[in-house]
Order: sequence, then C-alpha cells, then structure tokens
Amino acid sequence: MTIWKLRNNNPLRKSYVTNNIKLNEFDALIRITVEMSKYLYPYIREILKSKEDIEENSVIWNDFNKRFIELIKERFNIESMKVKKLLNQAENDEIIIKSLLILSFCISNHGYQKLKNFLYDF
Amino acid sequence: MQNKLSFHQSSASLEIIGLPDYSNNENKDQISIISQWKLTIVDKPLIEGKIEHLGPIMDAFYIYSNLLIKNEIPIYNSKLIDIKADNLNVHNIVLKSSKPNVKPLVLKIGNSLLSDTINCFDQLNESPKVRIKKTDIPTKIPKKLRFGLNKKLKFFNFFIPPFIAICSLILFSSFFIYFYSPFENIEKKELINSD
Repeated sequence: MTIWKLRNNNPLRKSYVTNNIKLNEFDALIRITVEMSKYLYPYIREILKSKEDIEENSVIWNDFNKRFIELIKERFNIESMKVKKLLNQAENDEIIIKSLLILSFCISNHGYQKLKNFLYDF
Repeated sequence: MQNKLSFHQSSASLEIIGLPDYSNNENKDQISIISQWKLTIVDKPLIEGKIEHLGPIMDAFYIYSNLLIKNEIPIYNSKLIDIKADNLNVHNIVLKSSKPNVKPLVLKIGNSLLSDTINCFDQLNESPKVRIKKTDIPTKIPKKLRFGLNKKLKFFNFFIPPFIAICSLILFSSFFIYFYSPFENIEKKELINSD
C-alpha cells in the first residue's frame, strides 16, 4: 500500500501529490528496482539485443516500445513536456536504452549500492 | 595443482586460474595468486592475459559503462585498451598487446554483451574466493555527498520518482515478453502455409 502511494510522488503522473520521500522509502524503492532487475535480466538483455540487430530481430524491441508508450499514455500527464519527450519515438530510444543499461548493470549482490551511486551521480 | 574459478553471465564467462596464498593461512580453494585469466564472449575471440592486465581491463569497462549512462562522451583510452561507442548500441573495443609486432585485437560488442561482461566482473569483485586488488569502482558514497545528503534528498524527492517510474514501466513492459513466443508464431505460420 505504501509503495502504491509513493507512486503519486512522481510529478510526471496524471495524479501527482507533493509528499517528501523519506530516506528509508527511497532505499526501499531502489531495493525493489534491483530485485526486479535481477529477476527480469534475461528479458532486459533480450530487449537490448533486439535493438542491436533491429533489421533482423525488431519484434521484441517494437513490442516492448509499444507497451512502454501505452503505459505512459495511460498513467502520465501527456501535456507535460518531459512526458512528450518520452513519447517521442525519435528521442525516447536513448532514454529507454540508458535506463535498461542502468538496470542491467545493477543485478549483482552489490547492485543496490551501484544503483544508488548511479542516482547520486546523476 | 592450481585452482580454477568461473563466473558466468549469459553469453560471457570469466575464468580465473591461480593459487591460494598459503603463507596467509588461506583455504586451499582460495585464489590470491592469479596466474591466468580468460574472458570468453560468445562469437568473439578469446581474451586472455597476465594478472597485471586484468585490473586495467576491468577498470576500463567500469569507467566506460559509467560514461555511457551518465550522458558523457563514452570514450576510454589507455595503453592497454581503448573503448568507444560506434553508436548507442555498438561498442568498439581495441585490445593492444604488450608484445611488439602483435596487431591489436578489435572487437565490436552490443549492449547485451557489454552488460554480461560487466556482470562477470561484478561477480569476480564480489567473490569471497578470489582476492584481487579490488577495482576502484564507486561502491561507496563520496564524503562530500554524505555530508550533503539531507540537501540532496530534496533534489531526490523531485528526481527519484520519475526515474523509478520509468524503470518500473520498463520492468512492467518487460513482462510483456512473457506472452510473446516467436517459435509459436513461426509454427502457426508454418501450419497456415502447409494448409
């Protein structure tokens, strides 16, 4: 339930609430993200691979991208400039690939610390 | 008898061969004195070298991957290894031999192989059975940031939710692949054709 509520702190969402995220909530979100990345690594890898040889195997990348955009349209405020950038297929490739790479680099036992450091360095 | 340890991640595997340091009362399955290492990447030439090459190569991969995701120019050059991005999906690696008259080894790897390789190095770094001079990857929060953590948190309150949201959407979208089976589709097409 707490995680569900935390989603509303995202200013890009349609329903956005200004609450401050506490340090332990921030840690928890990172831990969940890392655990999900570990679990989904084979799929993340396949998506990245599909983009590498897009002429031979574009199906996985196209399906993933289509679903990603569907979810953004469903949940995010599409009037926001940042969201428009996410929806723009000419620009969103880089954001998606870099996000997938960050997730794929953080699947080790110290992945939590790595992801945290990536975020601090942003 | 030398010990051999392997670290695997999808299409990449790293093999470390060496001996324990008995003078330090180490277990017989420990490796502290590395005599050889081999990095195997599927469909690519074997990479192997001396112990003094392993650290710089691991550093190169870590530094390059950090540059890649931090929106900086992803280029790494050193005496031993050069890495640069051909584009967002392909990375060009040049391994230079320390022996004279030996041509450098040129490899092109994609993001999937890059992350497999980084994960093999992570496994090696985290292995309790191998003692190497640990790569200086940023595993700890710098002091400057630690002092400014409270101030930073305000920034995180703004930045973290969108990042986590994008990641969760990506992870959520990844589930979509569960429902996609290219083999089924091929079979269906074959059935239609045979009809």
